[in-house]
Amino acid sequence: MTTFPIAVPPPGDAPGIATRHPDEHRPWPHKPRTWPRALVIAAVICALTAWSAIAIQFDPATLIRNAHNASRTLVQLFQPDYTFIPDTAGALLETVQMAVIGTAVSVALALPISFLASRVTNPSTVVLGVARFIMNVIRSIPDLLYAAVFVTVIGTGAISGVFALVLFDLGIMVKLISEALDGLDRGGQEAALASGATWLKADRIAMLPEVAPSYISQTIYVFELNIRASTVIGLVGAGGLGMLIDKVRTFYQYHYLSTIILEVLVIILALELLSSASRKRLLI
Amino acid sequence: MSQAQQAADIAFDHVGVTYPNGFVGLDDITLRIGGGEMVAVVGLSGAGKSTLVRTINGLVPISSGQITVGDVGLKGLRGKGLRTVRSEIGMIFQSFNLAKRTTVINNVLMGRLYHTPAWRALLAAWKRDDVELAMQALERVEIVHKAYAKASELSGGQQQRVAIARSLAQRPRVILADEPTASLDPPTSHVVMRDLQRINADLGITVVVNLHFLDLARRYGQRLLGLREGRLVFDGPGADADEGVFESIYGRSLTAEDMLPGHQQAAV
Repeated sequence: MTTFPIAVPPPGDAPGIATRHPDEHRPWPHKPRTWPRALVIAAVICALTAWSAIAIQFDPATLIRNAHNASRTLVQLFQPDYTFIPDTAGALLETVQMAVIGTAVSVALALPISFLASRVTNPSTVVLGVARFIMNVIRSIPDLLYAAVFVTVIGTGAISGVFALVLFDLGIMVKLISEALDGLDRGGQEAALASGATWLKADRIAMLPEVAPSYISQTIYVFELNIRASTVIGLVGAGGLGMLIDKVRTFYQYHYLSTIILEVLVIILALELLSSASRKRLLI
Repeated sequence: MSQAQQAADIAFDHVGVTYPNGFVGLDDITLRIGGGEMVAVVGLSGAGKSTLVRTINGLVPISSGQITVGDVGLKGLRGKGLRTVRSEIGMIFQSFNLAKRTTVINNVLMGRLYHTPAWRALLAAWKRDDVELAMQALERVEIVHKAYAKASELSGGQQQRVAIARSLAQRPRVILADEPTASLDPPTSHVVMRDLQRINADLGITVVVNLHFLDLARRYGQRLLGLREGRLVFDGPGADADEGVFESIYGRSLTAEDMLPGHQQAAV
């Protein structure tokens, strides 16, 4: 084999880049000009921000003008009254119970609907379109609005909260699981269909095991969301800690309020730890 | 395992396939594959090998002509009729097509889905006879000890043998194999091809396999079909396929790239 003296450049030539004959010269492609577009986008964003700030009369000075009031409240908030904890037990338990029931019902309903709402598992474009449309409507309504509606229709209490959570979770769950299905490897399904299985059977046997880890992982996520959400929806009377928050807030009992906030913080942190640990175990 | 069903005749009668984008996959193919034959399909990529194999179980619908499997015409066949034909045709894929997160035995049982009522499928409550059949199929490809392993834990060659077991669990009359060795190393390719050969010889199942490598095709295909641009340009015994024949299929003379690298290591 011939060896080429690549280490030693021929005399007279600059080392490094190979020299080309001037006749061979071709212009390199020009870098496309992108700055005018970037400038327009930045201007639009700035204009929108300014317009919004003016519209809602955003004025940082209000915070300073109310500093005296705010500081008194803050001082109270920074002195949580731990003796209040036993009194929160009932509401806290109710929040957890609402979250458990809401999660259980919603994830059970979400599984079959997700298969209808994924292009990959549902061959009928009509059924797919209908399922997706309904789920988009359900998802577009925020949890607090659901809670307000159910409190009006059914009355105050945890049951309204559970209904609100179920609908809210359903929207999220179906979105996440149907997108997980969309991204799956369809090999098993293709093989099942090629052996004469119906779509229902092929989806159940070949696709369900593949989507199971993300289903379990999203279930934990939705439970986490529910703990958070059920503290908020209580503000409109849908049971749980939120109702208690609303009560102590109305009576300016900020020592109590901060106790509740701390409790929620602890629960959320504990749940985060639990869910990340179980997710790790799931996805080995 | 008693594979008592009689292997099917497959007949192509002036079959054409035009894809929605206008690409002609198959152009006026007429041929007959007798029950119990082992046929290898060769050609360049895009020549229509995959299309030809996939028309036989209706995965690719035909645009013109007619294909009959046994005594059933496939043209326009849908629903229950198509599923019945498919239930008698096993298929093996280049990328194995297993549900990777479930067990090997569940993957093999997939081959019984046609005969499983929907409620049983939904509960994954397999019939005892079907589990027995699936185990026997795994035993035939010598991988029954992995029955309860997760499919993803198996090597490529093992996964392909699970796929073969799945097709055997169908008690098929025909097995189609779409580039079954393309994701495998040369020694494993031979193991898989010998499995297919044995199934063909012992059970009398018709095997139609498309192969990229000519030496594999010549060695394992009793009969060779050569495709070029969707047309059948060669049909005859593998032994008759000389240099000239390959030039007519490939439009150029034979090179080392058309051979499985280092296949002599795994010579029978």
